[in-house]
Amino acid sequence: MSQNRVLVWRGGDLVSLLLKGGSLVGLIALSAVFAVLSPYFFTLSNWLNIFRQVAVVLIAASAQTMVIITAGIDLSVGSVLALGGCLAAVAMSYWGWPFASGALLGLFFATLAGLANGAIIAKGKIPDFIATLGMLGAVRGIALLITGGLPVPSHFTATKLAGYLPESIVWLGSGHLGGIPVPMIFALLVVGVTWFILNRTTFGRSLYAVGGNREAARAAGIDVDRVKIFVYGVSGLYCGFAGLVLVGRMNSANALMAEGLELQTIAAVVIGGTNLFGGKGSVFGTLIGAILMGVLSNGLNLLNVEPFWQRVVNGLLIVAVVVFDQWRRRIVRD
Amino acid sequence: MVVSASPILSIRNVSKSFPGVKALDRVSMDVLPGEVHALLGENGAGKSTLMKIISGIIPKDSGEILLDGKPVHFSSPRDALKAGIALVQQELSLVPYLSIAENVFLGRWPKKGIQVDWETIVSETRRLLERFGIQEDPRTPVGSLSVAEQQMVEILKAVSRPNVRILLLDEPTSALSEEEVNRLFELISEIKKTGIGIIFISHKLNEALRIADRVTVLRDGQKVVTEEASRLDERMLFEYLTGKPVAFSETTYEGDHTGANVVLSLENFSAGGFVRDVTLRIHEGEVFVLFGLVGSGRSTLARGLFGLERIEGKVILGGQVIKPRNPKEAITLGIGYLPEDRRNALVYELPVFANITLAILSLVSRRGILRIREEMHLANDFVRSLRIKTPHVFREVLYLSGGNQQKVLLARWLARKPRILIMDEPTRGIDVGAKFEIREMVRDLARQGLTILYITSEPIEALEVADRIAVMRNGRIARIFEYPKDVDKTMLLAIASGVS
Repeated sequence: MSQNRVLVWRGGDLVSLLLKGGSLVGLIALSAVFAVLSPYFFTLSNWLNIFRQVAVVLIAASAQTMVIITAGIDLSVGSVLALGGCLAAVAMSYWGWPFASGALLGLFFATLAGLANGAIIAKGKIPDFIATLGMLGAVRGIALLITGGLPVPSHFTATKLAGYLPESIVWLGSGHLGGIPVPMIFALLVVGVTWFILNRTTFGRSLYAVGGNREAARAAGIDVDRVKIFVYGVSGLYCGFAGLVLVGRMNSANALMAEGLELQTIAAVVIGGTNLFGGKGSVFGTLIGAILMGVLSNGLNLLNVEPFWQRVVNGLLIVAVVVFDQWRRRIVRD
Repeated sequence: MVVSASPILSIRNVSKSFPGVKALDRVSMDVLPGEVHALLGENGAGKSTLMKIISGIIPKDSGEILLDGKPVHFSSPRDALKAGIALVQQELSLVPYLSIAENVFLGRWPKKGIQVDWETIVSETRRLLERFGIQEDPRTPVGSLSVAEQQMVEILKAVSRPNVRILLLDEPTSALSEEEVNRLFELISEIKKTGIGIIFISHKLNEALRIADRVTVLRDGQKVVTEEASRLDERMLFEYLTGKPVAFSETTYEGDHTGANVVLSLENFSAGGFVRDVTLRIHEGEVFVLFGLVGSGRSTLARGLFGLERIEGKVILGGQVIKPRNPKEAITLGIGYLPEDRRNALVYELPVFANITLAILSLVSRRGILRIREEMHLANDFVRSLRIKTPHVFREVLYLSGGNQQKVLLARWLARKPRILIMDEPTRGIDVGAKFEIREMVRDLARQGLTILYITSEPIEALEVADRIAVMRNGRIARIFEYPKDVDKTMLLAIASGVS
């Protein structure tokens, strides 16, 4: 039956290159278009700006990559980010906690939310998107409760200490190190760590196995439930960290920040070539995917396109990429 | 068979290339009315490609296809179907929640006004079922039928089209038990009588010889021979298929193991609510065959030992009473399991090396960090020693042939060094050459001291690999043969099917 599973496309011709390195080619082409349309596009300061804006999405998308490799999906990334960010900001500005303990508090509860996702999915035997969709709503609600719906720090909250956010978190979000934006450095670090997890750890290997064939993973002695719980926990942790970076960049937190992040991360992951149905993918692909989305929104901004259009474009992009991906698979297979 | 009749379908010098592979090289064959023409070949020989060309799934590069002497060209399966060529694939395409009748007429339901004419559908289907000797109510939902029955429905669906001339059956017996195969063959004989020509694709030699009027063998994309089945035997076919002379080893029994240590012993063992009262002992270095037809409980027993079914009774492994609740525990205790269906054990998108080390990740890592070099070394060793055909260990398992995939799984468990290895139908769905190779490996491994519980429903295979054979029927052990030399194929089958 299986004799014709020969890869038809081999390197060399243009079509093959387009099919294989689709996202990278797309990124270059898109950049070229914007470079022609806007003289400002290909300047160093603009690119640093793009990277600064991409950092938050990239951190969360790295987590999303791992989750999607297990054939899961985390719709709660934006909410969990908001929870972590708001908790940290409240602790630092209203309770007077130092940066480190405030950050840890945010990371802790974000991780907890992630673990809860995993536990509900694994032990409750509920589809991933249902569990995380519920969490998307619930966690956003908790963030609103914590902040009372107001920005943090806020001068309108007369009864509370209207403090300021510590320097460290501002540095994390908008500082520079040798001319390079700090959030970009951390985002690339996160990508590196994620690469290491995926390619050099037993946990990473288990992620691929669970996503590629759950039954097979179990039959090889992998504790599938534990892997699931853990990967969502890691996703929570990453999102908490992304929350700190975002708060630092805005010098403020609010419960409604990072809305729609799930869509952006999924787009970055899928554009990066990770299989939406699990078992296959790479975080470097996601890096390209995230930058491509950053370039797209930056370019549209430079061309004075209404920002609402960006949402339309992002949404359509996901669908288009998946359609393209399915089509490519068919061609490459037979 | 009417030899003088002119063929319904003629294939003349058909060639097909894929980049780097000549899949078919000037292949010719024809099919006469009322003939069963078996198309045999190992994986990669080109039989699936030929089938896809005949049924219009892929285009041919050159050559011609004649239907009733007139050249035809199909650009889609729809064209082929319209011309009267119906394909029944391995994967069934029935809708489980619809009835037999609805499935048979799927997509061409007769209408009464704007309403579907249910009466006609049901009565027509009943007529079909009766004509081909199948005792089922046309209104039964297909999902409640066994795989074998579903397959028959699929075949009926194909032949119920008014203009069908040629029926292509792609490995129709691969999921069937012996008895079900018999029923399928009866159905095929009935269809023959209607004058439909049948192409029967298989790699089971004995079945091809039983059902076919003529046999065509492909090897490496070329036709080796077309011959009347009555003039062939299994040995000749094997040589045609592989191009190598046969070196059948007669039974490989190597003396009494009952003096050796007992590795696994079951006392009043039951599993999955179906397997009951099993008591047996397996000794070190022994190949203990569990023979039984599909549904006899052999796999349930194995799954029970591997922690995939609820079990009761006493299981003693290496002197220790155990009760594995999940595969992880079973593996830690020293049990390895190659399931009946490779698809439940392989991660197809992962490369060869990762599939080999999947059950020993803790052994090739330190504090959760993989030692890649060690992993590669180990994987390469197994690729060499088990002769796994792959360009390199980074190749996704997906692209390997069935036999090589099975070897990857074997390597996984050998790397784990289990106390006992359970192999459930390890040669199912792989080509003949690899089949013999794997059986030989099993013998070799036993010689090196590995204890193996070998499950099969092929009597010849049982006799070839076994030191001892237990026959299962209806969830119980019907009989244990201490010396396989005292049994033969018929006896095994008789006991397994409860005839004696």
